[in-house]
Order: sequence, then C-alpha cells, then structure tokens
Amino acid sequence: MTSIEERLLDPVTMEVFSNRLLSITEDMGNLLIRASFSTNIKERRDCSVGLFHADGRLIAQAAHIPLHLGSLMGGVEAVLRRWPVERMREGDAFMCNDPYLAGGTHMPDVTIVTPIFHNGSVRFFAANIAHHSDFGGSVPGSIAGSSPTVFQEGLRLPVIRLVRAGELDEDLLYLVAHNTREPEERMLDLEVQVATNRRGVELMTALIDREGIETVERSVEDILTYTRRRLRNRIAALADGEYTGEAWLDDDGQGGDPVPVRVTARVAGDRLTLDFSGSGPQARGALNMVESALNATVCYAIKALLDPELMPNSGIFEAVEIDAPAGTIVNPRFPGAVGARSITCNKASRAIFAAFSGLLPPERVMAAGHDSVPAIVFSGTWRDRPGTYVYLETIGGGAGARRDADGMNAVHVHMTNTTNLPVEALEHEYPLRVDEYALVEDSGGAGRRRGGLGIARQIRALADDVIFSIRSDGHILGAPGVLGGLDGGTAALIRNHGTPSAEYLSSKVSHVAMKRDESMRIETGGGGGFGPPSERAAADLARDIRGGYVSREAAARDYGAEKVGEALRLDCREASSLGMGVGSFERGSK
Amino acid sequence: MYRIGFDVGGTFTDFAVLDERSGAVRHFKLPSTPGDLSRGIAEGLAHLIRSLELDPGLIRFVGHGTTTATNMVIERRGSRTGLLTTRGFRDVLEIGRQTRPHLYDYGIVNPPPLVDRENRIEVAERVAADGSVVEAPSDAELEAAAMRLREAGAAAVAICFLHSYRMPDHEAAARRAVEKVMPEAFVSVSSEVLPEFREFERLSTTVLNAYVGPRMAAYLDRLLGRIRDLGIQIEPYTVHSNGGLMSMRSVRAFPVRTCLSGPAAGVVGAAEVARDAGFPDIITFDVGGTSTDVSLVHQSRPRFTGDRLVADYPVKTPMLDIHVIGAGGGSIARIDDAGALKVGPESAGAEPGPVAYGRGGSEPTITDANLVLGRLDPGALLAGRMQVDARAARKAIRRRIAEPLGLSVEAAAEGIIRIAIANMARAIRTVSTERGHDLGRFSLFAYGGAGPLHAAELARDCAMPRVVVPVEPGTMCARGILLSDLVFDFVRSAVAEADDETWQAALAALNDMMAEGSRLLEQDGVGEADRRWRRMVEARYKGQNHEVRIDLDVLEVPSLPEFIRAFEARHREEYGYDVPGRAVEIVNCRLQAIGRVPTVADAGQESGVCIEAIARGERPVWFRSEGDFLPTPVFDRADLPPGARVEGPAVIEEMSATTLLHPGQSARVDRVGNIIIELGSSGS
Repeated sequence: MTSIEERLLDPVTMEVFSNRLLSITEDMGNLLIRASFSTNIKERRDCSVGLFHADGRLIAQAAHIPLHLGSLMGGVEAVLRRWPVERMREGDAFMCNDPYLAGGTHMPDVTIVTPIFHNGSVRFFAANIAHHSDFGGSVPGSIAGSSPTVFQEGLRLPVIRLVRAGELDEDLLYLVAHNTREPEERMLDLEVQVATNRRGVELMTALIDREGIETVERSVEDILTYTRRRLRNRIAALADGEYTGEAWLDDDGQGGDPVPVRVTARVAGDRLTLDFSGSGPQARGALNMVESALNATVCYAIKALLDPELMPNSGIFEAVEIDAPAGTIVNPRFPGAVGARSITCNKASRAIFAAFSGLLPPERVMAAGHDSVPAIVFSGTWRDRPGTYVYLETIGGGAGARRDADGMNAVHVHMTNTTNLPVEALEHEYPLRVDEYALVEDSGGAGRRRGGLGIARQIRALADDVIFSIRSDGHILGAPGVLGGLDGGTAALIRNHGTPSAEYLSSKVSHVAMKRDESMRIETGGGGGFGPPSERAAADLARDIRGGYVSREAAARDYGAEKVGEALRLDCREASSLGMGVGSFERGSK
Repeated sequence: MYRIGFDVGGTFTDFAVLDERSGAVRHFKLPSTPGDLSRGIAEGLAHLIRSLELDPGLIRFVGHGTTTATNMVIERRGSRTGLLTTRGFRDVLEIGRQTRPHLYDYGIVNPPPLVDRENRIEVAERVAADGSVVEAPSDAELEAAAMRLREAGAAAVAICFLHSYRMPDHEAAARRAVEKVMPEAFVSVSSEVLPEFREFERLSTTVLNAYVGPRMAAYLDRLLGRIRDLGIQIEPYTVHSNGGLMSMRSVRAFPVRTCLSGPAAGVVGAAEVARDAGFPDIITFDVGGTSTDVSLVHQSRPRFTGDRLVADYPVKTPMLDIHVIGAGGGSIARIDDAGALKVGPESAGAEPGPVAYGRGGSEPTITDANLVLGRLDPGALLAGRMQVDARAARKAIRRRIAEPLGLSVEAAAEGIIRIAIANMARAIRTVSTERGHDLGRFSLFAYGGAGPLHAAELARDCAMPRVVVPVEPGTMCARGILLSDLVFDFVRSAVAEADDETWQAALAALNDMMAEGSRLLEQDGVGEADRRWRRMVEARYKGQNHEVRIDLDVLEVPSLPEFIRAFEARHREEYGYDVPGRAVEIVNCRLQAIGRVPTVADAGQESGVCIEAIARGERPVWFRSEGDFLPTPVFDRADLPPGARVEGPAVIEEMSATTLLHPGQSARVDRVGNIIIELGSSGS
C-alpha cells in the first residue's frame, strides 16, 4: 500500500463524472470513425480522441490506438508552447504532426486540438488524431524504412491555426492537402477531424453548464489523483529491485547489424523508473522513436502489465519516470527519420515486458509476440478514374504464449490493433487480387504453451506499374520464448511465391515496381513459446498436428519423436471412439 | 380463440395468453427446465390449458422467444461442423479481423473457431469482385471434399466462397455436392444465409448457422411433438433477432437468426405498447438482476444493427440494436484499493444474491441500496412472497462503503445508485446522442424487474421528458411476442456507383426479393391484404466504407434523384454533413417482407371511476433532493384505474416491479394502464 494517502475529494461524483467523460470521448470517436472518408480511418479505425485540461494534462482518451496517446499529449503541449491560452479565441482549432516541432510521432498522424472555453477563458481541450494514408514525401504512404531524415517523410506541420474563430482557413487546407497524394480525401478527413472536436466542445460545454465548473474541475483532479494512486499501489506491490530487458531490431532501416532496445526497470517503493540506457544508437533509417512515442509505449506497457483497466490519463506519468539518452533510437536528434517508429515501439514494449518477467508472478508473464507492425503499401492508378490509389495495410502475427494459454494466432500486438481490410472490400476497391490469406504453419514457438501463428497474405497485381513498399522486422530474429519455450518463426517477404522466379526480398524495400500478374507474399512472425516443449500436453500437440498448426516434421524436431508418438496414438484413439468413417449424423442428440 | 406467447429464459419461462374475444391478457411465470427446455414449455402450456380451462383446439397462435441457439454457442454444444471454402482462405475463420479482443488484457483471448482447422476444406474456385468467374469448381473436387467431411463425422456443413454475394453459382454447386454425398447433413450456404459482402462476417454467420442447425432442428421437433401431444394443432412461431416472427421452416433453415430472440420480442412489444400510448420515440430500458438492456426506437421502429457478437462470434443477420451493460439489481458495490467506489459489472446474481436476501451474500448490491433508502419494501418483495432483511443490507453498506468513505449510510446507498444510474445513462447515450439523436424527444420505456425503480431518476439525468411503465413490466418479452409480425429479411449486395442503370438494377433486385417474400408469406398463409414491405438501400459516398440506410418507402417517387437527395439528407442526419456532387455507391438492397398478424385488441379495461388514487400505506423513502427521508405514500398498482393521478414522492408496487416517483414528479395512468411520468422539459 502506498504511504501517501491522498484522499479523493468526492468518489461518487468522480465515478459519475468518469462515465460522462467516457460518453464524450466515445461520442467523438464514433463521429470520427463513421464520418471519415479514408478506409484507413473509417474501416481500420486508425485514430483516437482525447480530452485535456487547459494546463495540458490528459484527462481521458478513447481506447483505439495506444500509440496515439503520445501524439495527442505531445500535440497539446506543443499548442500550449506556441499559443498561450490568452491568445486563443473561441472557435479556433490547431493542427500539427511534426515529431520534433509539435510532439507528433510520425507525419501521417495528424493531430487537431480545439480549445474549450467557459466564461471567456480556456478550461479544456478536445483533441483527436488520425492516421492519413498518405501525407506526401518520397513514397506513397509517406513511410519508407530507409528514409534518412524527416524531410523525405512528408509534409511537416508545426502547430498551425487551421480554424480561426470558427473560420476554416481553406487556403491552408488546400496547401496541405495538395502536398499529399489523395488531396480530396485529405480535405474531407481533416474537416471531419475538426468537426469531431467541435462535437467534443459542444458536449463538454453542456457538461460544464450542467454540473458547474467547480464540480468539473474537482472531478478532474480526483480522476488524476485516483489514477496515480492506483498505479502506485500496483508498483508498491512489486518487490524492490532492478531488472533489465532487451529486444533486437533486425537492422536500423538502412541495413547493418541488429540494433538493441534495452530498458532497466527500477522499482523503489511506489516509484518506478524506466531507463533506456544501453539502447542502440540513433537509426540511419526511419526506425527512430521520439519522446512522445516512447511515452505512449511506456503507458501502454504499464497498463498491460500492471493494470489493464487503468484509465489512460496524465496520472500514469505522475507515477512513472522515463529516462532515454539523447542520440539513441529511443530519443533521436533532429532530423532523424521516424516513419516506421511503430516497429520500434513494439520492440520497446517487448523489452519492457521482458524486464517485467523478472518482476511479475509466472501467471502474468508472457513470451514475446511477433512484436512488429509489418506494413505493406501498394499503389497504382485507379481502375476507372484518374489519380493514384494508395492501399496500406498493417498485418498481424503471432502473440506470445502465457502460462495458461497458447499465444493468440494472427493478431496485432502491443501498440496497434487495427482491423484488416476485408479481401472482398480490397478487391472491389483496387485492381489487386488476394491469392491467399492464411496462418503460417510452424511459425508458433514450441513450448508447454505454443506461441501464436503468423499470417501469410499474398497479393497479386492485376495491372502493370503497381508500386510496392514494405516496412517490417523480425525477418532475421524470431520472437524469444520464455522459461524454456522456443522462439517464434521469422517473418519473410517473397516475390512471386511458388513460381520459378520466386525471390526473398528484404524487410524494408520500397518502390518495387510490379508488373501485371506478379505477386508479393508477406509472412509475419509467430509468437514465442512458454515453458519447455517437453511439458506440452499430448492432447494439445495432437490438435496442433491434426489441424496442421504444427507439421509432423517440426513437431518431431521441437517436441521429440516420443511426444509426437504419444500425441498420434491419442489422436487415433479419439478418432476410433468417434466412429470415424461411419458418417453418423447428430451423434447423441436423438 | 386464444393466442399464446412465451419467452424461455434461463430461470423462468414467461407466458402471456390473450383471449381474443375479451381482449384480456393473462401472465404467468414458471420455472424453466434447463435440461430439455421443451419439457418446461409443455408443462407450462399444460398448466395454462388446465387453469384457464382452454380448449387446445381454440389456440390459434403460439409464438416463442428462445435462447436455445445462443446457449448452444455459449456452451459449445453445437454439432461437429465442416467448412468448404475458396482455396487459400480456410484460415479467414480464425484470422477474423486480425485484432485482439482487449487492447491491454492478454488474459482475454479470441474464441476458438467453431470449425476445427482440419475440417475447413479448400476447393479450387474463384470469383472476382465484379462477379466474373476466374476459376470454376469441379464437381469431382467438391464431392471429394464432402467425402472428407463425412468421414470426419460432420453433421453440418458451412459453404462460403469469396464474392458469392455477387455470384452464388459456385456455392450452389457445392451445396449439390454435399447433399449428394451427405444427404442427412445440415447445409448452410453463405449466399443464402447472408448474401452480403465482407467475407469474415458472412463466413462467421454462415458457420454459426451450421453449428447450431442440427440441434436446433431436434429441439423444434421435440417442441412440436409436445405441442401436438397437448392437442394444439398449429405450428409454433419463433421470434427472430429482428423482433419479427419466423415459421418453423425458416428457423430450421436459418437458426442463427434466433440468436437474440427473447430481448428482441421485448423491444418490439415496447415499441407497440408505446405507439399505442402515443409515444413513437422511446428508449427501451430493461433492467434485470445482472444486466441492463437499452435500445432506441424511432418513429415506432426499432433500430437494427448488423454488428453484433453472439458469445464473441460476429453475427451479421439483421438484429435489433440492443446495447447490454453489466448493471442490474444484483450488481455489487465495492471500494477499490485506490479509494474509488465501483458498482458492477460483478454481480451477486441469484445466488448468493443481495445481502438482504440472507442467502450468504456479503457484498452490498444495488438492491440492498434500494432497500436501505426505502425505495423497495424493507419488509418483503414479490408481493410478500420473499422476506428481506433490510437491516443486514444497512449493516453491509455501513461497514463496507459508508465508513471507509466517511459518508452516512444513506449517502453511501444513494451514491451506489447514482453510480449505477450514471452507468445506465452512458448506455443510453451510446444508443442515442452518440448516434445523433436528441434525447429531449424520447420517452424512457421502463420494464424488467428493476427498470421502473430507476427510470424517473435516469430520465431526469438524461434530460428525457417522460417515463412510460407498462402493465406487468416483468413479462414484457412474452407480451411482445403477441404483438410481433411475421418478418422475412432479404439482402442483396451489389457494390456499384449509383447511376440510372444501377438504380434500375437495385429496383429489380428489390422486386425479385418481393417476389420471393410473397412466395414465403404465401406459404405461411399470409393473405395479400396483410402483407407489408419495407424496402431499404444502403449506400455510401464512393471511397467510404460505412453505409447509411435509406428507407425507400419514405420517397414520394422512387427515382434516382429522389434517392440521392434522401441519401444526402440521411448522411447529414447521421454524420452532420454531406458532400454534394460526390459519387454515391449503392452497396446493399434490403427488403423486409412483413406478414401482419391480427393485432391484439385493445385491452380496453373499463375506465376507472375514481380518479384520486388511494394509497395503501406510507413509508419513509430517502431522496437526495431533500437530503432526508420523506414520508412517502405507497400505492398498489392494481388500485390505480385508468385516469388515476399520482403526485411524487410516491412508490407504486406490483408483483414483479416497483415504480418510484421523485418529489415534484407526477404520474398518470393511461386508458390501458400504462403509468406515464411527466418530467417536463426542465431536465435536472
């Protein structure tokens, strides 16, 4: 228990008020998703919303994408640095994206911040962020793993007042939109982002009018105090000490040797420090994560490891200290490129999870997942109209095994959780065809509990001059298992799979020109296993082999011939007891 | 002539019997029989026939709501199912949308696929997005695949190929192959179950339909047999998740459509009762022991959704959009380690139940808080059938909530209820304001055991002007069944830019569906005069991926320009803006074919003589506005004739529910016995 007994002022009102805030962020989030135009926001929900106090503290975030918390907080701080609240006017709205100037994490994530006034002064902010599928720069989609600086990564927006006292600056909007590859979609989506905050302002103002500003302010303080206290209680329950974890990237975006992300977690009483000293040098490619990306990663990992229901707000940061030496991959110097930072964020999560495996009871320990955010981008000319399409998708993979369960197959892990684009929607929209969408057999790390399987997605060009880019990781190093579990399978990119001209490409190629009927196949990594393979239950292994999750050869290699024999015998018995081959109908129900 | 509706729940089966001559409705509540639900149903029906001295031959209608299919999925008791699908895509069922169910909690995992991987068989066939054939399947391969499933012991087969919503021939060929090789198997074909694009949701729905198919058929056989044994000659209807009725034949083919059967009937009943009472716009508010269901009814039409999970599996058949939260009478109040007061979602359920029930419950619940505040009768519940110990409730709240927070017991109990109300209010905003509706235009329609108790405070909190409490709020679902129509849903997906040609194609598709609907209604004996149609087109701006639904029946002339205008208006309504001049894409054409069943004659209870209601007694009830207990009159609902008026504070009790009126609120009883509480427009 914490020694600091900070009493909540009014627990009942706080709880009532939390529900109000959640309603408001849900409302804004719904509007943003449903009204936006681009597939990336509306179908894949790559966006988030938040409410802030006038002093910049986050008070509520709708839980869509954990990584967005960093840019939202960084964006509001940047707005406050650039525009003192005294100079803001009702109806203003600010726009920004830049990682070095405005707290962003990469250029396609554009933040809109709108002040909320009460009696003539700014009391709160509504903010939202959306990932635009292209924001200019050297490649469609704006992100190439090998970009050397932010100048290749699209249009940089410092804090800009896009709406002035209710009036949208259309010239500015045009300027921004026409520096991207799909200007009409950009304009529509940015306008939806502005409208989303307007809705937040409306709802928040109604709440203040109803409850009174004092009650609202008091409840906000209670919420932040409560979150801080709750997290400190979780930290205090851990044994004091120091634990280090690490994770390795295949390269820094421009090739070369694997790069570590290292973190030391120090627990002293109810204080937690995460020190990233020992992490690799600033990447030459686009894998750098700036401060706001690191903050978001820490917030995510702490919630996942210690308290999944903890409310995401600034109270979390009041209980945790973060150190990251400048000039490293987790705190780069301008103008280091950052586009593919989500891969590094997931590796940083892996490192934090690894450090905590020394701190947590076994039932809460998880092996590494694929811990990447493999992103593929296809672009080309529309089938039936002029202009360029950009199809971007990030692909899930295997999650790590836990003491009580195999790792989940084919999911996003850690900082992202975006849905796929349905094959039927993809084929309807773009001149592309999906050949296969499947689990990668044998990709789950063997263990008492098996790691989850990765995904294979193979896409064929139906026209010439399709441009393909990818940023991915884990093509060299698989997800480590824990407590004797084996590593998950590595990821791979294969051009023209299954043909005589098949070739493996590297994890961060860009601008690959595809001709009609050529295909690209990405296979994502599997999760690591938990516990020694020898301890896997024969029934579980039997199911693995029967379903083809694990091939017989791989099973013999990883689990041993004896275990496989046991599993197969079990399977035979089960099959005969089921009356295999009889074709009986409705067994036992009549 | 009699009509019988019943709703089979986990604990109780509720019956409503309508005597068509007198218009009188009788309600019964009997224990369910979980092992074989049809047995409890038969016993209940036999009981009704005996006690009401009915001639079974005079029973003209039997309709029921059932969770048989849903429970089968929850308990994984469905049949062994195989899948035939396009080569390269058997794992779509397992990949789903490639998301994990909880962002932060890795203890929460995706549910296992209902078809084992080795029983998902791929066949070489492919249709392109425009419906053209890339590769045709061979009968030999289809039959070989079916052979494998037969050997694996599959009792049901799901068939789902890519783009079959556009070109169903390949699936039809697969069906023929399966029927040839496995004549006894239950077959579920995606282009029949849900011819709608987006493969995972269609596949999931088709698989669920197969998974529950054989056992649902067995259940229906048993039910029919038992009903016949009682001398009832007609076939029972089942409530569809969309609130309409389905014939036995339809349920056999599409059992997945019954997944939300019971709650849907409640909403339909609520919509009908409210319409009849003159309130077309309502939020239904159904509070039970562990959960609260809310839904929005606009212009007497419940809202539909295609995005629901049944036991964590996506099901995309049209369902009433019912939002469920974990807040009910049994929800537990607890102070957590950081000093916050939380109410639910943990529930004391029926066992051990609230502290006051004296069955071993030690943690205070919402019901305990209501007893402490005098809102529920501190002596006994269920019309005296159940003794409660209000002192034990008081002690638990004092020790566990009031003392740690430094509050009085009443303030603590009141805090518990305020938090529960805040949770409920959020659910209400989720279905209304978050979708662009103004709550100031909606009435709160409260039912379920604990709905009427919290309704007046909730309505005030949500700035809703009015509360409606129907007669017998505890048996709304059974009653709703008597008010449901026969409904068939049809859908055709054809993603195409709206121009003269595609508009004509859409109209043709709607006409096709009407022809099919007519055929089905004909089969179910619905005469032409009783047929109604609801034609809808779902469309979006080109480049969007969310559709809005346009009701064609509100168009003066169903022409393309009219349709585009209606689309833009709808888009403004839903999202707050439109984009004039941008191309519009038609995505789905939907048709509801409705067969009107004779409506229940107005209960028309004789109009009351005495308008001044007489209280049965008085007890102290605590109100926050007063910060104290007020002597509060207690009425027996049976004593309130049509036209009666009651001024708050007041408590109105009946067997299955208690209605609370706060100071300053007033209620009247309308001509059919509904309690109408007017809050005015003042909000708080």
